[in-house]
Amino acid sequence: MTEIYKKLENIVTKKFISNSLIVRHAYSRVVDPLLQGIPDIVIRPKDAKEISEILKVANEENIPVVPRGGGDDEFGGSKPIGDGGIVLDMKRMNNVINLDEDNMVVTVESGISWGKLNEYLCHFDLYTGCMGPGSGMTASIGGGISHQSVGGGGCAKYGSCTNQLVSLEVVLPNGDIIETGSQANKFSQTPFNRFGNGPDLAGLFCGDNGILGVKTKISLQVFPRPPYAAYKTFILPRKDREVSSQIMLDVRRKGIDIYDLMYIMDVIVRLGTEFGLMPMWEQLKRKRGIIFYTIEANSEAELEEKVKQLDEIIVNNNKCEPLGPEISDGNIAKWHYAEQGHWQFYHNLWGVVPALEPLSCECFVPANIYPKYLYEIDQWDMAHSEDMSKFTKITGQRPISSSGPIFLIDGNNVELTCGFASFPSYYNGEIHEEFDEINLRLWKSYLEMVTKWGAQWYMMGQMASQIMVEIEAYLPDYYKTLKAIKKTLDPNYILSRGKFNFWED
Amino acid sequence: MTELKNLKEEWKAIMSCMGCGDCGYSIRRAVGRYLTCPVKESKGEEGFEIYFSRGRMNVLKSVLEGKLPLSRELAEFVYQCTECANCTEVCHETHNENIILNTSKWIDHYKVWDALRKDLVEAGFAPLDRHKDLVDYMNNDAMKNPYGEDFAKKFEWASDFSNIKEKGDLVFFAGCTMPLRQQDTLKNMMKILIASGMEMALSKDEWCCGSIGARIGEYKSVDELMKHNLDLFKNMGAKTVFTACAGCYRTLKKDYPELLGEELPFEVKHITEVLVELLNNNKIPFKPEEGEKLKVTYHDPCHLGRHMDLYEIPREVIAKIPGVELIEMKRNRKHAWCCGAGGGVKSQFPDLSKDISKERIREAVESGADILTTSCPFCIGNFRDGYEEIEPEIKEKIQVIDVIDFIASKLK
Repeated sequence: MTEIYKKLENIVTKKFISNSLIVRHAYSRVVDPLLQGIPDIVIRPKDAKEISEILKVANEENIPVVPRGGGDDEFGGSKPIGDGGIVLDMKRMNNVINLDEDNMVVTVESGISWGKLNEYLCHFDLYTGCMGPGSGMTASIGGGISHQSVGGGGCAKYGSCTNQLVSLEVVLPNGDIIETGSQANKFSQTPFNRFGNGPDLAGLFCGDNGILGVKTKISLQVFPRPPYAAYKTFILPRKDREVSSQIMLDVRRKGIDIYDLMYIMDVIVRLGTEFGLMPMWEQLKRKRGIIFYTIEANSEAELEEKVKQLDEIIVNNNKCEPLGPEISDGNIAKWHYAEQGHWQFYHNLWGVVPALEPLSCECFVPANIYPKYLYEIDQWDMAHSEDMSKFTKITGQRPISSSGPIFLIDGNNVELTCGFASFPSYYNGEIHEEFDEINLRLWKSYLEMVTKWGAQWYMMGQMASQIMVEIEAYLPDYYKTLKAIKKTLDPNYILSRGKFNFWED
Repeated sequence: MTELKNLKEEWKAIMSCMGCGDCGYSIRRAVGRYLTCPVKESKGEEGFEIYFSRGRMNVLKSVLEGKLPLSRELAEFVYQCTECANCTEVCHETHNENIILNTSKWIDHYKVWDALRKDLVEAGFAPLDRHKDLVDYMNNDAMKNPYGEDFAKKFEWASDFSNIKEKGDLVFFAGCTMPLRQQDTLKNMMKILIASGMEMALSKDEWCCGSIGARIGEYKSVDELMKHNLDLFKNMGAKTVFTACAGCYRTLKKDYPELLGEELPFEVKHITEVLVELLNNNKIPFKPEEGEKLKVTYHDPCHLGRHMDLYEIPREVIAKIPGVELIEMKRNRKHAWCCGAGGGVKSQFPDLSKDISKERIREAVESGADILTTSCPFCIGNFRDGYEEIEPEIKEKIQVIDVIDFIASKLK
């Protein structure tokens, strides 16, 4: 390894590479409490050229490489699968390269966070529209594009962040550097459009979970932030799951360009007040589900009209009860939008009790069908009571299965962050190895259930990508084609080795 | 494998860190949050994740799980932390009392770093070289201060003031930094107090409060220092002990009761709490206001602000000084950027400390302030060191001055 290290050090210089055991452990985990992979080397490259050189060495030496942006993924996507290999810490590349104010296209290095980019854009009265994932204060634009990310706000209006992608600079696993969209034409002055000049190659890398290339430069369409916004929160009536779904469908059918529309299950409302997370809802007599929306407009009159239409759907047609306008009245929508709580919305669902962390599933499903899936989650939970109770004996708390906020994305689809929160094997001074075994088994079972709903994964990482292959959920020709693309671009399976089980043979 | 006695007590905090990384990268304009970790930012492009909380928590998970031993190498990394507690702040804050992050109930990063440092000391991997010198000086009977100065030198400044009493209700604890490095500020403090008609007592047998020992996890020596000082205060008849040092303030007011396991029999105040009372009672005789107002910005010392929740009183003091317009830096109060001196960083990694201080000075200039003031001798010392090296065009725009010196300059 010393010789390889030397080669890599020559590329980035010694300040930006480490094989310290301490540093390697710092990069060995992501959000879940279960998976760990300790890299041999961590590198902080400065540009596409360095990454290209690194990947060439990795190919020569047959060393797997995994890119890591904000490291906020929940499926083991940005740490090695198994120990070894190189982690590319993309956070050194975190600058805005250019803002084309006329055409409202911003070009950034891929390691920049959604928080930093939007802070920059606000000085021009612009924003990214889709604000990336719920972890956007840290999560990188590159990670968002690699996962079709949603969840950080604005997804009902703008959809996944990949919708606004204009062009990409990507380092392919063999070290080649390509540009996509308008930038495939060497005479193009500035990125302006994704589609054209042949097939949408940028699309190949959207949601690729880091297997097909390392994104280094990203151009996004950005938008003027409308000066007016309204945000309201409502208590749902009985059958809150079905009613919330109906509201989402009604809003779409009416064609209202709602910015965010989110449903919070009754179990979350109940647990949120029981565990002290949501003092604003403690006064609610019935702890039913909650739904809230944000709508933007360019004038007061426009806003008023849109609010009227939404109230007609939510209050009059679907019998929801509005909460007061302030956050203290329970109006979480105000916190979510006005205080940028959209980047912290999920944080308080984790760590509800000490060491309780998420083993989750993040997927898209049609808005008309999610209530059925929520009942299936209840049944899954009951079916695994015996396993769950093994945690209770040690921790005094049963793992919690449910879905986090369910929100409208583009089309008539919703994002479902479901799963269960559970405990790590280290608990109160002792290591309970059986926890890891049960967690892994239950997580796989959960992922299998969700896959068999026909759900569409967007953040897949290690776990969801492998499950899709293991239970043969992919249509055979789709998987064959995907594998052929991978093999063509990455014949040695250098990049994110282990995802989608491409390494198996 | 060492016992990890202290880290194990912090297992809830360590295992509850979900690794969101906001302790390293958070920018949330709507609530005034612009990044978190001064050490990571100072490292710039070399800012591997080990330099901020998430990376360290990942390492500590491995340590607790028995996958990674404590080591000198680990110590070299983890002592590059000013213990400013900004990571705790960002980890806890929803910015709204109606929405609570439950992790705020069991994650206190400062306590985790403190536990880790204690275990590193117990395992023999710390103190680091320079820290060991400081502890040795502190324990040396001829010194009893971390600066390696002769014991008697600490009290030279007081010889100008014959009216300082030996006993009394109100006792001043001078600490080590001001008497040994910033005597003029202490003399200015006396001028203010004398002009205000205030009397106080000072012991010429006080020892270091032990702050440096506590911050680096070397608690053996703190115990002896604490007991000596507490006996002293008792014998002097102290009902209130005040100090002009933010580090001493935290140590006396927070660490001593925690180490003792009981409340202290006297009140502990910071100089700004004393000054605000004098100002509220119009006891400080100022010169008449003249000329244009000076724009003054206040830097929150971590040991006053995030550690002790003392944010508004120093601002009240500054706002009451004639001819002053108090303005805020972009990052203030709970979001304030650390000066870079705390947690033993100044002594062991002086260049890192200075880099951080320069960033804060530049931020003060960006605010439009003519004067950057604060109320901590450690911050002042580090700002002065950074100021010496900073670009001339920045120097031209701002002065760095302790709030005591600033008030003294306005006395009649």
